[in-house]
Amino acid sequence: MTKREMSTKSLLLILVLPAVFIILIVILMPILFSFVISLNKATPRLGGINLKWRGLLNYYNFFFKNPEFWNSIKLTLYFTIVSLIIELILGTGVALVLNRKFFARSLVRALILIPWAVPTVVNARLWEWIYAGNNFGALNGFLKVLGLLAKDNNVVWLGFDTPFANVPLLGAFFNWMGVPRALNMIIIADTWKVMPLVVFLLLAGLQQIPKNLYEVGSIDGANSLQKFRSITYPYLKPIYLVILVLRTMELFRVFDIIYILMQYSIRVVGIYTYEVGMKFLKFGQGSALSFLVALFIMGFTLIYIKLFYKEEV
Amino acid sequence: MVKKVSTKKIIKGTSFYLLIIIILLWTLLPLAWLFLSSIFPYKELISNRLGHWIPSHATFKHYLSFFNPEEDISSRFLAAMRNSLIVASVTTIICLFFGSLAAYAVVRIEFRFKKTMVLSLMFIRMLPTITLIIPFFIIVNLIDTRLINFFGADVHLFDSRSLLIILYTSFTLGFVIWIMRGFYLTMPEELEDAARIDGLTRLQTVFKIVMPLSANGLVATGVLAFLLAWDEFILALIFTRTENAVTLPLFIAELGSQYIHDFTQISAAGVIACLPPFILVLIFQRFIVSGLTMGSVKG
Repeated sequence: MTKREMSTKSLLLILVLPAVFIILIVILMPILFSFVISLNKATPRLGGINLKWRGLLNYYNFFFKNPEFWNSIKLTLYFTIVSLIIELILGTGVALVLNRKFFARSLVRALILIPWAVPTVVNARLWEWIYAGNNFGALNGFLKVLGLLAKDNNVVWLGFDTPFANVPLLGAFFNWMGVPRALNMIIIADTWKVMPLVVFLLLAGLQQIPKNLYEVGSIDGANSLQKFRSITYPYLKPIYLVILVLRTMELFRVFDIIYILMQYSIRVVGIYTYEVGMKFLKFGQGSALSFLVALFIMGFTLIYIKLFYKEEV
Repeated sequence: MVKKVSTKKIIKGTSFYLLIIIILLWTLLPLAWLFLSSIFPYKELISNRLGHWIPSHATFKHYLSFFNPEEDISSRFLAAMRNSLIVASVTTIICLFFGSLAAYAVVRIEFRFKKTMVLSLMFIRMLPTITLIIPFFIIVNLIDTRLINFFGADVHLFDSRSLLIILYTSFTLGFVIWIMRGFYLTMPEELEDAARIDGLTRLQTVFKIVMPLSANGLVATGVLAFLLAWDEFILALIFTRTENAVTLPLFIAELGSQYIHDFTQISAAGVIACLPPFILVLIFQRFIVSGLTMGSVKG
């Protein structure tokens, strides 16, 4: 190795060191500490903490002895999967529309991005006000003006009744899942904020497709669906994977919007973890739960990668 | 020659623009309602006003009350605004500076645990925030009891902007490294080699060639980091209490629970909290989109 290469290498090392130091102090050490806590029964005392070793018992108990944990996983899976399906289908549709040439396209695109910039707390408050279950709620008012809701009927949108209770299969499904109406409405509110991100990622993918591919497709007599499957989809595949991974991460950990709107009454796993860890101050169990959440997300990611790259392997 | 336009084409064109209008309405109506609610007089907003969406006596007094020192609400609001701006900006600068240098070095040098490091950055992003909250809660508690014993009750980490900056750095830095890494992966190394043949040292190359070339990426990542910090809620909920450190999201969340649900006030605060991100996103729209795609697709 020449002297020059040596000095280059040491300079690059100096460039990484501050960040590595910060990461060590504020990320890695706390996470390791958190993992150690998760192996203990940990209770706070003034100026410190009492630890009592339990090994993997915290994890074991959640997995095999705690129906509340599995209920929260069930709700979280519902929230994650339904949101993902809506975001992907609507997102693809909107992206395909906005990818065509039309009047004032760049202005429309700029406007579409705006909800994504709305802070989560503001988003929660905004939809709380739209869903207000009285005369002033915008959604109730809107439906009444359209004649879809009787004038003296006010729906409590963020309520706990089972949605579609009289629809045969659907009502039974929601009842069995324990999904209250409020959760469905929160999915809509959350989708409103995140859709722009999905749309823009897909648009970036659509722009990489050479236009003449579609012309070739037309000459071969392919219909729109066939063209989507054989031309568009292969280009969007890596982007779908990115969206799935990113969004699963955020959806599975959801906390802010549900906490602000419903406090502890819809126990998705994020809320449940917070309740165990910070409300009841059971630090050991709370930490164990948070690592379980990460494991679930990792499982999802591995499944996506397997599904998407099966044929190439 | 008169172009023959078939009815089928007209229907297709009209339904296409109809779709765009529906998309725009879905996007903008909730925001329009947020703004309209903020300029309604409170009494009119909660009166019987079916099908009546625009205030007959629009007022900006809810906005003004936040800035009027004689109103009770204003000191906490102004403190929250100041804290949010300071914490988000400082976090962004710290993360951008150290994060981009680290990302550059990670791309340009080979070392033994590189792959492990990149993968663990990924795993850390999958952990929920509460994983960090519990250890920090204990550590801060530990440090603060010592500090208070030594220096008296005024010196503490809890409920301080410095603590928030440390906490926000801890979840933003990894994100910044991740995105900037994607950016540097696409930057050809030949350019730097050429600069060094011209006699620039490696350090000069970094600051005179690499940084200016990555300006787009830095701007995009900076805006994203700022938005992340501006949006943060759960850490502020646990680690702040008073005007020392309370942030805007926490202030707005409290407005809804502590007092009566005065949605004129909540909406006005919401509109104000939206302004900095809106301005950033509209100005840097192109950069942000390219930043998001490069960080994620190249990962």
